[in-house]
Amino acid sequence: MIADFEYFAPKTVKEALSLLSQYKEAKIIAGGQSLLVVLKQRLFSPEYLIDIKGISALDYINYEEGKGLRIGALTPHRTIEKSPVIQKYFPVLSEMENNIATIQTRNWGTIGGNICHGDPAGDPAPVFIALKAKLKLASLGGERVIDMQEFSKDYLEVALDPGEMLSEIQIPKPAPHTGTAHDKLMVMKGDMGIIGAAVSIVLDSKGKCEDARIVLSNAASVPLRAGKAEKKLIGKVLNDALLAEAGELASAEADPPADVHGSAEYRREMVKVFVRRAAAKALERARAA
Amino acid sequence: MTSKFSVIGQRVHNIDGTEKVTGSAKYTFDVVLPNMLYGKILRSPHPHAKILKIDTRQAKKLIGVKAVVTGKDTLGRKQGIWRRFPELCDEEILCRAKTRYIGDPVAAVAAIDEDTAEEALDLIEVEYEPLPAVFDPLEAIKEDAPQVHDGVELNININRHIEWGDVDEAFRKCDHIREDQFKCSSQAHVCMETHDAVASFGHNGKLTVWTSTQSSYYIQRLYADMLDMRESDIRVMNRHTGGGFGSKFELDSAQFCAAILSQKLCQPVKIVLTREEEFTATKRRTPMYYFLKLGAKKDGTLLAKEARVITEGGAYTAMGATALYLTGFFSSFPYKFPNYRYDGYRVYTNTEPSSAMRGFGAPQSTFCGESQLDMMAEDLGIDPIELRRKNGMTPDYEVPGQAFIQSCGLHQCLDKIEETIEKRGKLPPNHGIGVASYGFMSGGIFNWFNTPYAFSAAVVRINIDGKADVFTGACDIGQGSNTTLAMICAEELGIKLEDVRVFSGDTGICPPDLGAWGSRQTLMSGNAVKRAAAECKSQIMEFAAAKMGVNIVYDLDIKDGWIHIVNRPERGVSYYDIVKGAIRGKDGVAIMGRGHYTPHRKGMISPAYSFGVQAAEVAVDVETGRYKLVNVTTAHESGTVINPVGIEGQLEGAIMMAGGYGYCEDQPMDEGKILNPSIADYKLIRSLDMPETEILEIDTYEPEGPFGAKEAGEGLTNPTAGAIGNAVYKAVGVRINDLPITPEKVFKALKEKEKKKKAK
Repeated sequence: MIADFEYFAPKTVKEALSLLSQYKEAKIIAGGQSLLVVLKQRLFSPEYLIDIKGISALDYINYEEGKGLRIGALTPHRTIEKSPVIQKYFPVLSEMENNIATIQTRNWGTIGGNICHGDPAGDPAPVFIALKAKLKLASLGGERVIDMQEFSKDYLEVALDPGEMLSEIQIPKPAPHTGTAHDKLMVMKGDMGIIGAAVSIVLDSKGKCEDARIVLSNAASVPLRAGKAEKKLIGKVLNDALLAEAGELASAEADPPADVHGSAEYRREMVKVFVRRAAAKALERARAA
Repeated sequence: MTSKFSVIGQRVHNIDGTEKVTGSAKYTFDVVLPNMLYGKILRSPHPHAKILKIDTRQAKKLIGVKAVVTGKDTLGRKQGIWRRFPELCDEEILCRAKTRYIGDPVAAVAAIDEDTAEEALDLIEVEYEPLPAVFDPLEAIKEDAPQVHDGVELNININRHIEWGDVDEAFRKCDHIREDQFKCSSQAHVCMETHDAVASFGHNGKLTVWTSTQSSYYIQRLYADMLDMRESDIRVMNRHTGGGFGSKFELDSAQFCAAILSQKLCQPVKIVLTREEEFTATKRRTPMYYFLKLGAKKDGTLLAKEARVITEGGAYTAMGATALYLTGFFSSFPYKFPNYRYDGYRVYTNTEPSSAMRGFGAPQSTFCGESQLDMMAEDLGIDPIELRRKNGMTPDYEVPGQAFIQSCGLHQCLDKIEETIEKRGKLPPNHGIGVASYGFMSGGIFNWFNTPYAFSAAVVRINIDGKADVFTGACDIGQGSNTTLAMICAEELGIKLEDVRVFSGDTGICPPDLGAWGSRQTLMSGNAVKRAAAECKSQIMEFAAAKMGVNIVYDLDIKDGWIHIVNRPERGVSYYDIVKGAIRGKDGVAIMGRGHYTPHRKGMISPAYSFGVQAAEVAVDVETGRYKLVNVTTAHESGTVINPVGIEGQLEGAIMMAGGYGYCEDQPMDEGKILNPSIADYKLIRSLDMPETEILEIDTYEPEGPFGAKEAGEGLTNPTAGAIGNAVYKAVGVRINDLPITPEKVFKALKEKEKKKKAK
């Protein structure tokens, strides 16, 4: 059973921020799909709960040629999955969403809630990092924008200051010839990946790899960028052997957990496979772009 | 065949289907009574501990708390379904001196709401002295292992021996012998409705209970034992029940604690177990270590089999002794072994008790046996289906000294499956089809419970409007038995299905029936209902014959509410008119019929057996070990099919459950603590991962069953894990002998295989 708490349900960002500044130790709840589990297990017993799910102003998806994609923090997973704009410009996001939990969970859970929960097994964070996303954080003092990559601090810990909340995810328009893909190992569709990989590849006009991002889920205490694996690819004309090498390097960089769903050894092996698979798909997309 | 029936064989939806799909069906979970309190149970955090002291004072002081009880508030009796064998009744439910697994109950609270009750649990102080604990049965049978129950030598709870022929001599005559080891994992029931009960003691000392159960009668009788009451002062009602797979026919902690609390307060108390309690503190499928020896002649004749089994019993006997016996019996199934020997040992451990679960020991024996049979077929260079055909059971076969099999369609099933596989043609790379044969019982001939009643009984009452009310102690737990029994009654009486109402699982108004376990209700309860309906029919016919003034050599029958001369159907009278007249003629007494069924002279196991063969196709991703269940086709014979829709539902549910058993379901533990007690971490096959399923029904007729019917629900759980194991082997050449066959295990085996190949 969940321990008692005081509950607030602000309707505007301003209201939410003033509550946050008033109750420094308050916890924000959005869709609650991650938080309620933790509360029920009593891993965490907040005294104050600020429910921001009702702030409709933060439920939006905008795309502009110059600015790129803007997703409001309270946009439900299912909205992202089904958004025509996202399916057109960032199909990887829709594919990733389709494999998150069940439709019921996606209908109620929000993208911002997922990211702020800071679970290294989550899928959105690695994909956003691969897409060079930035996060807009709001507080009564004003707004700041940080790289998604800087956001995850540790297991279930993110870089939100007291009084601060996530308001928007910003994804720049990708460079020409960019391809991004995500894949994960699921025992059952919708599972948290035993291991997951998001890969983005940018090709130059000659078809050489100009930039690459490889980000893993469930491979460390935070979404993990496999820097050595990325370096292996940059500056080269890519082929299967190189992608396989990138997988090997990423596997060496990973420090995965061992739990009931898989041993650390198995996860390390699977990093090789999923980095290679996601990279191959990303490369195919980059070439087609 | 089916044309001779009007109702049986029709595709009908469950008679309570509308209520269920619209959400208006009321489960125990929904029961709310005036002045009702909510109970919660405090459970042992230690796998094995002495209880030194329990201080409930602070908990009792909490506002809203009405009562706190511990083992001291009970009579100190031990429950068990083994009423003929008191030494096997070993579960206090509320522990008095010692706890034996993480989850063993030590106290219970009743309060004005669940939150308060839960808060009170935190205020109960229990002083434990942790004792050394043992978790693995192979450890527990060692000389110096901790004792789970005092005075039980080597922690061996029970052993079972089955033998016929001359096994040692037969092995000497074999051309080829295989010895293999297997390990069968645990499995959680994961009923949609967790164990729950509302118990209400009146000031008159009588107890009324609403509960989710597979056997109202057992619960009533076990309450009577534990509370020292007369059983007729206890009314147990199973209304709609959200699933039961073997964990719901013994007295459980929700039922017992709710009653003890209610007895103290004379107020109704409701206890609903949480999902975590459901996973950690009820009962589960029995994990088993299997050692199999199989001997054959070159031509594939199986001469001898020997099975040795050690099972992880957990803390209490539960239904484990029957699982131990049945796994031994079904290890010989469905083949004609002239020589067979089985030795099984159930070992106490400090883990959640293992017990009955759909298949009752047979999914384990079938997985191991069918895996080994495929290995034998490969060794001998014989097609696996051919090997099964050569040795498979046939009608009118006697399992020496054990059982007599009347109807048996195994060979037709093998033919059908062979055709199906041929039709699928050449498979894509890394696909494989594996086959497993199975058989199962239609109700057990066991009376360890020592019931003095018939195994099944029913009353049928015909009302003035011609509608029939069936009263049966059978329990509809979602499997559709009320619909099956209504169809049997309607067919027997010659009336429409809508003309039948069923009152079931209520010990206050229904005659006792042992309940929904061991695949017994279609055959046993069905026979009882059929006989009760027949008794009504013969009374009606007396009036009809009088009214019609027929020649006494003519036969009368009823079809679609029309009573007629069999050879001249146009000559007849309305059933409804006759009933009206008959009741007037009987001085206003409704027409009543009684029927009962107890198997006699049918061997030691069951009055009838169902058979089938299943083919599972998998597609393996060799880089990850992850495989998909592509298709599961089952050739199945269950005698006359009462309701095809019901069988399809049973089949799909069984594949979901048995596929999970084969593929992903497990309850890993650390020092007796179950590590995945939530639906997020306990992996079940969900709708999106279900394979295509197909059922090929084989027409047989079982003389012992109502209208020729036999079981169709539980046996279907037996073959799938074995078929998956054989399919994975066919697909990629690795054999996994320990369940579940997870992607990680397949991956590791593939790596091993690669390594060996390189070494060569």
